[in-house]
Amino acid sequence: MKTIFHSFLYCCLLASVAHCVELEVNPELKKRLSMWLGSRLRRDLESVALVKTAESENFVRPEDIRDTLLPHSSTDINIRTKRSKGCALGTCAVHDLADRIQQLNRNRLKSDAPIHKMSPQGYGRRRRSVPERQVSLRLEKGRLRPVWRLNNSQVHKLEALLRRT
Amino acid sequence: MYVSTCVHNVVTLCFQFLVRASMEVNESQQQHPNNVYHDIGITRNKIVTAQFECYQKIMKDNTNGRQDSMCNRTWDGWLCWDDTQAGVTSEQQCPDYFQDFDPSEMVTKICTESGQWFVHPESNRTWSNYTRCTEHTNEGIVTAMNHFYLTLIGHGLSLISLLISLAIFFHFKSLSCQRITLHKNLFFSFVLNSVITIIWLTAVANNRELVQRNPVSCKVSQFIHLYLFGCNYFWMLCEGIYLHTLIVVAVFAEKQHLMWYYLLGWGFPLIPASIHAIARSYYYNDNCWISSKTSLLYIIHGPICAALLVNLFFLLNIVRVLITKLKVTHQAESSLYMKAVRATLILVPLLGIEFVLLPYKPEGRVSSEIYDYIMHILMHYQGLLVATIFCFFNGEVQAVLRRHWNQHHIQFGSSIGNHSDALRSASYTASSIIEVQGCYTIDGHTEHLNGKGFHDTDVSVLKSDSTFA
Repeated sequence: MKTIFHSFLYCCLLASVAHCVELEVNPELKKRLSMWLGSRLRRDLESVALVKTAESENFVRPEDIRDTLLPHSSTDINIRTKRSKGCALGTCAVHDLADRIQQLNRNRLKSDAPIHKMSPQGYGRRRRSVPERQVSLRLEKGRLRPVWRLNNSQVHKLEALLRRT
Repeated sequence: MYVSTCVHNVVTLCFQFLVRASMEVNESQQQHPNNVYHDIGITRNKIVTAQFECYQKIMKDNTNGRQDSMCNRTWDGWLCWDDTQAGVTSEQQCPDYFQDFDPSEMVTKICTESGQWFVHPESNRTWSNYTRCTEHTNEGIVTAMNHFYLTLIGHGLSLISLLISLAIFFHFKSLSCQRITLHKNLFFSFVLNSVITIIWLTAVANNRELVQRNPVSCKVSQFIHLYLFGCNYFWMLCEGIYLHTLIVVAVFAEKQHLMWYYLLGWGFPLIPASIHAIARSYYYNDNCWISSKTSLLYIIHGPICAALLVNLFFLLNIVRVLITKLKVTHQAESSLYMKAVRATLILVPLLGIEFVLLPYKPEGRVSSEIYDYIMHILMHYQGLLVATIFCFFNGEVQAVLRRHWNQHHIQFGSSIGNHSDALRSASYTASSIIEVQGCYTIDGHTEHLNGKGFHDTDVSVLKSDSTFA
């Protein structure tokens, strides 16, 4: 009786520890894990998106810039797009349902997808003209302020870069 | 100093990009009569942010590893596409920009053999295929709402039946024995699980403002939800261990220590729930911890799955022993197997075996939908099923209730019609005494095993057999 108990407890512990270790870390990310953890240990995936939507006038906050300037930020983007599919076990159905309901509620704020953009006339084009005058944002007292200015050499550099892509 | 200037330049560059991009979106909107983005800013901000990140990625990633016959990395207006080999169709999940976009569907962009992105013949424009994103959305919404109501009704019915069962178990002291004590705990964990699930689904998941505010209380309720969810399955494990010990391990069982069962049933699920809470707050701290798109949930469901697997082993072992023992009594083959099958079917919901038999969600859309329906029915109506089988259909309970009902009638009824009732009750009592003769004693409690063809009968057969074996 006791031995069954003990062996079972160990099994459960092992199972949970094993799952902890393999959590959402792709093999190519493993070497960067320590660096990555340092920068986004407390970063809140969903609330970042929500705060962004809440403050529509500065949709990119200073910490986003800092984060994306770090050398490993490309993994950061990967994380966001290649999110794991989550729990596929049968018992997870209840979490999936809660998630789905919550998503439906959140989606009520959004509009439907514009059909003309999905039609043959729609997405897939790029190559845009550069406006003569443009706004740049400058960091002042922790806020981003727009500053108008004429095109300068930086823009041309950028244009060249874009043309390459 | 030089470095900081550089950094500043890069930042400025990026923002010029960003702002220009957003201005262009504005321009294109003004040109178009149907302004799709202006009503709510969320979608636009998401797109602009994605564009910003995409351009950063395009600029940062080095182009050295590129071959000639490749489609260039590009921003198509909604999504970012990497360099792609010629002849390959690139795929991404649909973005969540719009209400009717299903993020589990795929967007495709074809890189033609010539190393150019696919150009739509109708418009002569580069084109990504977003049509699949909206194809099945409405069906998906209907399905989700069906599941939602199915779940609420299931938990409501389970709650009612479980509470009645618990009332019966607590009111009739003559029923109390170790087995019923375990049943009480299992039923109680079912009740708590149902209550917290209903609260979680209606008050948290269905409440956008709350999820957006993200108070600590909703994370706490998710913690409690996961803990009670675990408790439920670990009490099933306890039932499994108890039955297995009773039937297979210790045939002449002396008193089992219930303390271990309480520890396993109520104490152990705290561990995965706490580990999950800690891990979630560090690695995936989403609002109210409501997202199911994280593998961290395996911390909860791994142990549950292990418990159910152990239960499966117990069930198989119990059935094996049952068949061996029944064979000793030289019963007819057919009735033997009928008994074994019946015992198995009865034990399946008690031990939660159904979740092990269908462990993984299939991939396809239709099959996963069918699977979801089956899982929701099995999971949320399990309390109802267990209460029905182990309380309402339990011979003991029925006998006690009938006796009580008849006493009630004899005491208060005075009509002639009651005479026959009283007679019937007398004859019934006599027959039940005969039935009760076959019972056995564990822990000083007499176990009345007249279970009307349910597993109790089989246990009693086993027991009486084993005393001779």
